[in-house]
Amino acid sequence: MADTQIVKPIGLASARPRASARRGRAVRYRLGRLVLYGVLLLGGIISLIPFAWMMSASLMTLGETVTRQLLPSVPRFENYVQAWQDANFARYFLNSAVIAAAILSGQLFTSILAGYAFARIEFKGRGLIFSIMLSTLMIQGMVTMIPNFLVIANRVPFIPLPGGSWLNTLQGITVPGMASVFSIFLLRQFFAQIPWELWDAARIDGSGHNLFLIRVVLPLSKPAIFTVTVFVFIGAWNEFLWPLLVTTTETWRPIMVGLYRFAEEAGSLMHLMMAGSMITIVPILILYFLTQKQYTEGIALTGLKG
Amino acid sequence: MTAASLQGVGQPGGRAAGSLKAWQSQLTGYLYILPASILIFCFGLFPVGYALYMSTRRWRVVDRGYVGVENYLKAIGDPWSALLFAGGFLGLIGAWYLWTRPGSNRNPGYRVARIASLVVVAASLWLIPTGWAGMLSAGDDRFLNAIPITFYFAFGSIPVQLLVALCLAYILFQKIRGQEFFRMIFFLPYITPVIATALIFRNIFSPRELSIANRGMQAIGLPAQEWLFESERLLNLLFGTELGGFLAGPSLALVSIVFFGIWTYVGYNTVIFLAGLGSIDPTLYEAAEIDGASHIQQMRWITFPLLSPVTFYLSVIGFIGTFKAFNHIFVMMEPSALGTVTTVSINIFNTFNKANQFGYASAQAVLLLVVILYMTFVQSKVLGERVFYG
Repeated sequence: MADTQIVKPIGLASARPRASARRGRAVRYRLGRLVLYGVLLLGGIISLIPFAWMMSASLMTLGETVTRQLLPSVPRFENYVQAWQDANFARYFLNSAVIAAAILSGQLFTSILAGYAFARIEFKGRGLIFSIMLSTLMIQGMVTMIPNFLVIANRVPFIPLPGGSWLNTLQGITVPGMASVFSIFLLRQFFAQIPWELWDAARIDGSGHNLFLIRVVLPLSKPAIFTVTVFVFIGAWNEFLWPLLVTTTETWRPIMVGLYRFAEEAGSLMHLMMAGSMITIVPILILYFLTQKQYTEGIALTGLKG
Repeated sequence: MTAASLQGVGQPGGRAAGSLKAWQSQLTGYLYILPASILIFCFGLFPVGYALYMSTRRWRVVDRGYVGVENYLKAIGDPWSALLFAGGFLGLIGAWYLWTRPGSNRNPGYRVARIASLVVVAASLWLIPTGWAGMLSAGDDRFLNAIPITFYFAFGSIPVQLLVALCLAYILFQKIRGQEFFRMIFFLPYITPVIATALIFRNIFSPRELSIANRGMQAIGLPAQEWLFESERLLNLLFGTELGGFLAGPSLALVSIVFFGIWTYVGYNTVIFLAGLGSIDPTLYEAAEIDGASHIQQMRWITFPLLSPVTFYLSVIGFIGTFKAFNHIFVMMEPSALGTVTTVSINIFNTFNKANQFGYASAQAVLLLVVILYMTFVQSKVLGERVFYG
């Protein structure tokens, strides 16, 4: 009895302010959330406005783009057909697909082997060779661009090319991109995590590095290889400067150079230009939406470990 | 990631195997790295040496022989001024060294070192503009002007980019519903091909009265601008001043391009910051909460220090990126911007591709490499020492 009498007033006295404080905190919390969502929404809108404008303008008539309507009165999907034909996009799409496939297969081949060697085979000078490779990441593209152009034009006697100049050829565009320190680094990180017990078991079964790599490491590394694949494909599709330099004809001109040329020629026809831009973006957007999770996680991984 | 970190990955007990097997294993290793090594040597390493070689020759489409340092002199003008200029920057490193060297203020040399450091800073701040003026009067204006333009570009975009991204990441980290959705939206500009987005921005920042940018100006009651076509410097536009040279700031055309850069890279930085926030041990926050630390105190003493490696990484990547930046400037530059958006990369490309001066372009590229190495060194020294690797 005595106990409850002592406890009760204390409980009562402290319960009220606590409740009101909790209510106050809840209100503040909700207000805070509102502000946070407001900021996010603003960021989202700013991120999306250019895309919305592109989409809208791509469906307008030329007149509507000149007067800068915000929305087309009647969406004209035939703009896409016209841009596709005018800009010869069919050819550039095919070129870009072949180029991306070539760079991708080349890069997977070289970086899987090198990544495996750097992660799991001990050989003399391994650390040194790897650091030299990493140090090339610091070198500007502008420094290597001019000599590489001369190499591909077969004008550097030190590196003779089979079959003469590679300008305007598939190999000229793709071969310099077939090895990437970045991919090697990414795969090496992943391969290094595979337990050594598996290698011991494989060795007891009499398999060497080749078999172990194909039978055990590759199946276990599907996520890493997938991430590299998406990175390389997007990179190859978006490539601009190098193909601009080494293609002077349409034969192997890729999509981004094609889009730039189209914009230079049809500069004033904004509706077609926007439709063309939209067309070139679509494959990347589809790929991104499908692989969004792995892609962003891959980016985050490289950012944190780099 | 260097040799030291590689040792952990080694094959345990590899040497215990028979010598033939060990030898075979070595050979396999070399064979595995052979394809990648050949390509990286031919297109990544060899070109650096060859660019150095080309930079010492008169090379306009075809090689016309050795000219020594003529290409470099053409770029920087007067070598003594360039020496003063470079000396100023080396002096800044020295001053930093003097300032941080004595450590505790109980050290006997503390005061002397600090005063010496200030003197060196003052001297450097005199050397840099003096050398710069000397170089400008004798050197290649196009090349030299491209350097401050690139700096404006870098300092205009990176701090804003990092700040906005940090805020967005911090908000997204607060167990926000739709976190993945927002992350995806923010990331969209980064993933989209640059040529296409740059073309969109070329329309948005067009000088027409009704362009999106000018509508925005109208909405807040400001006069329409020429945007990408505007060569007038920002400060002069804003305050009606008539400044010239470095102090006048970037042109409005360059500012438009900076907007594009920020728009593109905020999403990337947000993703990395978000991953960095996720890697902070949540028990630290719990412990701080128990100790009664406020939200802001938690940010100051836990979040910021533990995020510093990420911030450092992003600022280095950002700086190297702005010096590399080419595609979007190439698409967005207009002749009427009068070269106020010509960054070093663009200028090298023009020298190489439009003027066909291969040797001279190589010399510029080598100078750019030196500038970047200096910047990376300073960043790793000055920022790197303040980074807290948890």
